[in-house]
Amino acid sequence: MIRIYPREEYCTGCRLCEIHCIVEHSESRDIIKAFKRERRPQKRVEVEESGHLSFALQCRHCDEAPCVDACLTGAMRRDARTGAVINDRDRCVGCWTCILVCPYGAVRRDAGEHKVVAKCDLCPHLEVPACVANCPNEALVMEEVPGDGDQAL
Amino acid sequence: MAIKRYDYVIVGNSAAGVNAAAALREADRKGSVAVFTDEDRFAYSRPLISYLVAGEVDGRRMLYRDPSFYRRLGADLYRGEGVSEVDYGEKRLKTSKSRSFAWGKLLLATGSKPFIPPVDGLERVRCSTFINWDDARSMQRATRKPECRVLVMGAGLIGMKAAEAALARSARVTVIEMMERVLPAALDAEASRMVQERCAERGLEVRTGCRAVSVEPRGGSSGSAFLEDGSEIGFDLLVVAVGVRPRLDLVGDGGPAVSRGILVDDALSTSLPDVYAAGDVAEAWDLVWEEPRVNALWPNAALQGKYAGWNMGGRRVPYPGSLSMNSVEFFGLPVVSAGVVNPPDGAYREIAEHFPDGTYRKVVIRNDRLVGMLVAGDIERAGIYTSLIQEKAPLRRIKGALLSESFSHAYLPQAVRHARIIKGAAGLKAADKGA
Ligand SMILES: Cc1cc2nc3c(=O)[nH]c(=O)nc-3n(C[C@H](O)[C@H](O)[C@H](O)COP(=O)(O)OP(=O)(O)OC[C@H]3O[C@@H](n4cnc5c(N)ncnc54)[C@H](O)[C@@H]3O)c2cc1C
Repeated sequence: MIRIYPREEYCTGCRLCEIHCIVEHSESRDIIKAFKRERRPQKRVEVEESGHLSFALQCRHCDEAPCVDACLTGAMRRDARTGAVINDRDRCVGCWTCILVCPYGAVRRDAGEHKVVAKCDLCPHLEVPACVANCPNEALVMEEVPGDGDQAL
Repeated sequence: MAIKRYDYVIVGNSAAGVNAAAALREADRKGSVAVFTDEDRFAYSRPLISYLVAGEVDGRRMLYRDPSFYRRLGADLYRGEGVSEVDYGEKRLKTSKSRSFAWGKLLLATGSKPFIPPVDGLERVRCSTFINWDDARSMQRATRKPECRVLVMGAGLIGMKAAEAALARSARVTVIEMMERVLPAALDAEASRMVQERCAERGLEVRTGCRAVSVEPRGGSSGSAFLEDGSEIGFDLLVVAVGVRPRLDLVGDGGPAVSRGILVDDALSTSLPDVYAAGDVAEAWDLVWEEPRVNALWPNAALQGKYAGWNMGGRRVPYPGSLSMNSVEFFGLPVVSAGVVNPPDGAYREIAEHFPDGTYRKVVIRNDRLVGMLVAGDIERAGIYTSLIQEKAPLRRIKGALLSESFSHAYLPQAVRHARIIKGAAGLKAADKGA
């Protein structure tokens, strides 16, 4: 499976990763429509900052993911094929238990038709996740790591 | 006639039982597994019963796992067949269908049962509890009647959920609570006040600091409750939700040792060999109170089930300990809390702050370790606090930044940040590695 790592020494805090994440998860995947016409989806990556320090952080897709264990409904699960931790928006009721247990603060509320959370899904439709592909500074890198979701049931 | 034998038997098909079965399969690919449940249903999400009443989820979305879950695991599910007796010496059990089975290892994941308080006359009225799918159906039926008056006894999590559900059905709802505030266990006084304010705005009447001394039937499920101050509250549906207790029916003579719940060690193993317990029924190590506790909450039940499954299946992985944690949202105000939110003595330091956006945050510190947190309002990133509690990390210099509005990994020392983000060593996993 793939993992994304931030390189804080190269991050300028430009937040292009956030913008492209929003576009990729919008209905049209068109930057103008996503920001001007449609319901703007929640970003799944966040530039964390303190003074001069900045880096982009998204779900770590933990091996033993606390959000999967804690999920009240079974919406949060590991995808058997990609190994990514994904949230089934149809089954999520927005109880926020995953937000309560995520050690990274990488799950967010997503205001929409019903209460639901949003988190990084590693952009399943793209070769390279949008945040990585669009970082102008290579401050986000993608790596192929061994691991699988074979016990996912 | 030879009786059927299973290598593993799990009693209870909910958070603990389901996760135990899955973990058991990871640890032991071959052993035979049976799961018994007295409810005639597939595993469902108990906390969703209020959503079911309110019409926010349907029967399909209630299911916690796909109905094919056990078939794919290669486990046998006995639905609507409760275990009525266990012989711990002979390693046998009897079911409600008068069948007998033999077991190699047994997991008691029987959960909670509602506590019924000693209120005069309660046995003479038709009162409900709010614990399972059937209770949800009864509330739906009762609230079909227009202007249905619902009285909920208890303003804990379950009582408030019941009240919220009844309100969504356009019932006229009153909640009475003995303590001075709502959700007294999950929240601190300030957060309780914030929640109660929302309730008042939305027409949910919560009367705190009052106790029903008696109830009288008035035909059907209607009746009247009389409070200490002499006032009377009429109801068409009475829901008793003053708390739950571990369901210890199967402990009996020769069963495992019990305090409040079934006592378990860090393998979720009871005082008896080959007998395990997990979930609401178990009393396991609490990592902030540093003593065994019953933490009757879904995430704890699921995690205990998982560790019980691994350990039963022969994979020795120590359970990192429980943590009381709550996430609630009433009328648009989300509140999350974990660990000690109401410190019992002066050994704890509380730092609390209100923010301009209306958010209230509090952290509780003991010996330079984070032991409790509560956020009401903007709850994003609150899980970082939870993980710091679980890791028992010394706070040192980050103490001053904890309550900052944008508190994140950017405030953690570089080495810690690196370990967590690059090596993925955050949360319980880190506790695992340290053990
Ligand atoms: C309305 C409501 C809302 C809740 N909301 C939340 C929430 O938001 N967050 C949270 O963390 N927790 C919540 N909880 C608590 C949570 O549901 C429990 O902590 C969790 O269900 C415990 O799981 P368990 O597997 O230990 O036991 P249970 O879910 O209680 O399941 C035990 C099962 O075992 C069965 N059983 C018992 N004895 C036998 C027997 N002898 N033979 C066969 N079967 C048996 C029972 O019928 C039951 O199906 C809520 C609870 C309720 C009732």
